[in-house]
Amino acid sequence: MNRSLAFECFRYVAIGLALAITLVPILWMASMAFKPIAEWSATGDQLTWWPRQPTLDNFRFIFGQSSNDLIVALDRTALKPILSSLLSAVFGTVIAMVFGTSAAYGLSRFGSGNNLPLALIQLRLFPPMAVMIPVMIMWAFFGMVDSWWGLALIYGIVTLPFAFWLMKTFFDDMPREIEDAARVEGCSRWRVFTRITLPMMRAPLASSALFVFILNWSDYLIGLLLTTREWVTIPVYMASLSSSMTGQLYGAKAALGLIAAVPPVIMGIAIQRHLVRGLTFGALKQ
Amino acid sequence: MTAADITRPVGTTLMDGEQQMRPTDGSERREERRLGLLLTLPAQILVLFISVFPLLMQLYISLTDWSPLDGKGWWMAYESWNTFANYTDLMSDSRFFSALGRTALVMAVCVPVEFLLGLGLALLFMQDFPGKRVFYSVLLMPMMVVPAVAGYMFFMLFQSGGPVNMLISALTGQPVTLAWLSSPGTALAAVMIADIWQWTPLMFLILLAGLVGVPEDQLRAATLLGASWWQRFTSIMLPKMKTIILIALAIRIIENFKIFDTLFIMTGGGPGVATESISVYIYKVTQQDLIWGYVAAIALVILIVLSIVVSLAIARMNKARAEA
Repeated sequence: MNRSLAFECFRYVAIGLALAITLVPILWMASMAFKPIAEWSATGDQLTWWPRQPTLDNFRFIFGQSSNDLIVALDRTALKPILSSLLSAVFGTVIAMVFGTSAAYGLSRFGSGNNLPLALIQLRLFPPMAVMIPVMIMWAFFGMVDSWWGLALIYGIVTLPFAFWLMKTFFDDMPREIEDAARVEGCSRWRVFTRITLPMMRAPLASSALFVFILNWSDYLIGLLLTTREWVTIPVYMASLSSSMTGQLYGAKAALGLIAAVPPVIMGIAIQRHLVRGLTFGALKQ
Repeated sequence: MTAADITRPVGTTLMDGEQQMRPTDGSERREERRLGLLLTLPAQILVLFISVFPLLMQLYISLTDWSPLDGKGWWMAYESWNTFANYTDLMSDSRFFSALGRTALVMAVCVPVEFLLGLGLALLFMQDFPGKRVFYSVLLMPMMVVPAVAGYMFFMLFQSGGPVNMLISALTGQPVTLAWLSSPGTALAAVMIADIWQWTPLMFLILLAGLVGVPEDQLRAATLLGASWWQRFTSIMLPKMKTIILIALAIRIIENFKIFDTLFIMTGGGPGVATESISVYIYKVTQQDLIWGYVAAIALVILIVLSIVVSLAIARMNKARAEA
C-alpha cells in the first residue's frame, strides 16, 4: 500500500513536470500576444509572465491598424497570408483526399496499383529539400510559383501518402457484407463505391481530411521556396515581421503565431483516436 | 422471398433467375479491373509527375553548372556541361560534410532522448488514474503546433532577457544573460531542446498505443509468479513492443533527418554555419548561391545514399521477420 502511494505521488510529480514543460512555451507565446510593446522585451526582474496591461493591439496591428506605440506600419497585413495558408491547405487536402481515397479503394478492393504503397512511402521518406530543385523549375514553367493553387498542388502530392494509407486501412477494416449485398441488388461497382461505401465512411474520411489538413497547414519550407510575395503563407509572412525601428516585432509575431497554432491543435485533439494510425501509415491502430 | 432466402448468408449464393440477369464472372472481373485501374490512375500519374520526371531532370542538371540566373531554360543546361565536376567538388566540400555530421549529431541526441522520455511517460499512462484523459490531450499538444511557430516560441524563450535565462537565474541565484542563439554550442543545444519538446509527444503517443496492446493477462500472470517490475518490463513488454519501437524510431529518424523549420526560424543555421543542418545547407545554396546544378548534385547524392540505407534496413527487417 505504501509503495503504491509513493508511486502515485511519483506519477503525479513526473506528469506535472511534463505538463509544465509542455505548456510554458505555449503560454509564453500566448501571453506575449497580449502584451503591450513596453512589456515585450523587458528583462531581468521586470520580465512579465502575465501581461500587466493586456491589450489587443498586437492583433489589431497585424490586421493593418496602426498603433500609437508602434510607429511602424505594415506594408502588408496578415489577412492575405492567412487566406493563402487557408486556400492552399484546404485545396491541397482536397487533392490528397480525392486521389488518395480513390486509389486506396482501388487497391483495397480490386488489388490495383500494387506498387503504390511502397512508392508513396518513398515519396514521404526523402527530405523535401532534396527534390525541390526540379519542383521549383516545373512550377515556374507552369506559372504556378507564388500562387495558392501551385502550393495546393504540391501540398496535395506531398500529403497524398498519408491520405492513401489512412483510407486504405479504413477500407481494409470495413466489413464487405454491405457492399456485397448491394452488389446482389444489382448495383454497379462504381455505384457501390459512391453511394454505399463513401457515405458509410464519412467519419473516417473526416478524420483523415483533418489529419491531412494539419500537415498542409504546418508547412513552412515549401511555402518558403514556392512563394515570393503575393501568396506567402503564414509562417513565411511571420518570419518577415520585423522592422528596423523596433527590431523583432515580438508581440505581433506571437499574435500571428497564436492564430496559426490554434486550429491544428483543436483539430488534432478532435482526431486523437486516429493520430497513431495516421502517423504510422496505418501500421498501428489504437 | 422464402425463409431460406433470408437465412442464407448475404452474397454467397444466388438464385438461378438472378444469375442470368447479373454479369458473368468474366465480365465482372473485367469491370473490377477497369474500375480499379481508373481509381488508382490519378495517384499513379501524380507519383510519376513528382518522382520519375523530376529525378531525370535533377540528374541532367546535376551534370552542368546551370543557374536560374543564366537566363536560359533548364533544358539548355547542356551549354554549361561539366560532367562530374559537381560531384568531385562535393567530395571536397567541407561545409556539406559538417552539415551532414551536425544533422547526424542532432539525430543521435534527439531521437534517443525523445524515445526514453516518451517511453517513461507512456509507462506512467498505462494504468487509469484521475485526470488521465486531460493530461494525455495536453501532453500531445506540442506535436500539433505548427513547427515554424514552435521555432518562434523557442526563439523567444532563448533570448538573453527571456524566460529560460530568468529561470536559470532564479535557480542558481545569480543573474544569467546568456545569448543562447548567438554562440555555436548553446545554439545547437537550444535547437535540440526545441526538437525534443515538439516530438517527444509523438514517441509517447506511439509507444503508449504499443503498451496498451501488451496482453494484460500475461503481465498479471508474471506478477503472480513473483516477477519484479523490471523483469516484466524486459521479458514481456519490450519483446511484445519490438515492432512498434522500431516503427517509432524509424519515423523519428526519417523526420529528424529532414530537420528544417524550427531550426531555421530559431537560428537561420547560424551563428555562422554552427547550426546548419543538411536541409538548411541545401536551402542556402539554393536561395543564396543559386548554383542549382550543384544543388541538384547534392540532392541526388543524398537521395541515393538514403535509398541504399533504406533498402538495407528493409531487407534486414524482412530477414528478421522471416527468422521469427
